[in-house]
Amino acid sequence: MTIPAGRVPVNCAQPIEPAVLMDYWLAALPPETEATVEEHLMGCDRCGDRLREIIALAEGLRTLSRSGSLQVVLTDQFVKHAGGAGQRVRQYAPPAGGSVQCTVAADDDLLVGRLAADLSGAARVDLSWCNEQGVEFLRMADIPVQADTGMVVCQQSITIAKASSSNTLIARLVAVDPEGAERLLGEYAFHHTRTIPGPGIAFPPS
Amino acid sequence: MSDAHLAVRIKDGDNEAEAEVCRRMAPRIRLYGLRHLRSAAAADDLVQQVLLKMIEALRAGRLREPDKLAQFALGTCRMTVVDLRRTARRQEKLLAEFGPDLIPDPPPLPRLDDAQLARCVQSLKERERSVVVLTFYDEQTAAETAAFLGISEANVRVIRHRAIRELRACMESAA
Repeated sequence: MTIPAGRVPVNCAQPIEPAVLMDYWLAALPPETEATVEEHLMGCDRCGDRLREIIALAEGLRTLSRSGSLQVVLTDQFVKHAGGAGQRVRQYAPPAGGSVQCTVAADDDLLVGRLAADLSGAARVDLSWCNEQGVEFLRMADIPVQADTGMVVCQQSITIAKASSSNTLIARLVAVDPEGAERLLGEYAFHHTRTIPGPGIAFPPS
Repeated sequence: MSDAHLAVRIKDGDNEAEAEVCRRMAPRIRLYGLRHLRSAAAADDLVQQVLLKMIEALRAGRLREPDKLAQFALGTCRMTVVDLRRTARRQEKLLAEFGPDLIPDPPPLPRLDDAQLARCVQSLKERERSVVVLTFYDEQTAAETAAFLGISEANVRVIRHRAIRELRACMESAA
């Protein structure tokens, strides 16, 4: 989406939209719009305060994104990039219908599961997380997938993994058709053994 | 006091007017520096250098249109950033010469509730959360994120805008 320079107000009575300020901070504006934003900011302290709020949000998101504490679907390239940037990435790739023994160390930064599946023809894919009894406790609906990779790369929260006691998690990739009918694409069991000292907390909920 | 009034008074040798220009312009110049130099220390250096150049020009009466002080500051910022990128050695020399006395303390960035931000991000839709992490982890462009996710660049921007709007609303409702 291109934001025309005309959408950036030239006087301080009309504040710049937060989305434009975020694009400015991310260097995502076309040059002529960026120039207009900068002229406005150089004469408007109110929008300067708003930009500081945007920068604080962006910095918070950067810190959070690097913390490994989010449960989020990512990409193979991202994981390689994080490893190349010096983060310690622990990865597990159980086969479809199979299981894997896993753990997490205190100095790991990211925890990643690689779930291989035939994703072709699936208009929507959900990732369901279940406890050892197979009861779903979390559903990640309509996750982004690249069918040609035949793989879903999901970051698990390293914070929760480090805190939790030994447990078993079951992940299910499910194709959901427009009528809501579900088709299992793959099921994967993660048998986590706690190796960090201390008993840990019970996870997932029973 | 207007920018134009300040410019005229500096030309007449008014030290208080110089201090007021520094107080007024330093936070704005610093924001420009943060955006283009991506470093608080480099932004502080930029503030020093731009203010020095501005005060020198104002004292000498080289600003022909005193009411265009903000535009003058922006132009000086642009030229100085180009210079900074080109000649880091010259920057060190200037800083050694003039010291840090010129600029006031910068306004602090607002504090965020990190735990609440994590809850807000986790409450986003899956695609929004993926775009947010891919975008902010390493400040990737929309084109890079689009290539990662196999969607269009325009789609990445739309998803990112929606995610930011929802995050701001989530943070404000918690505050």
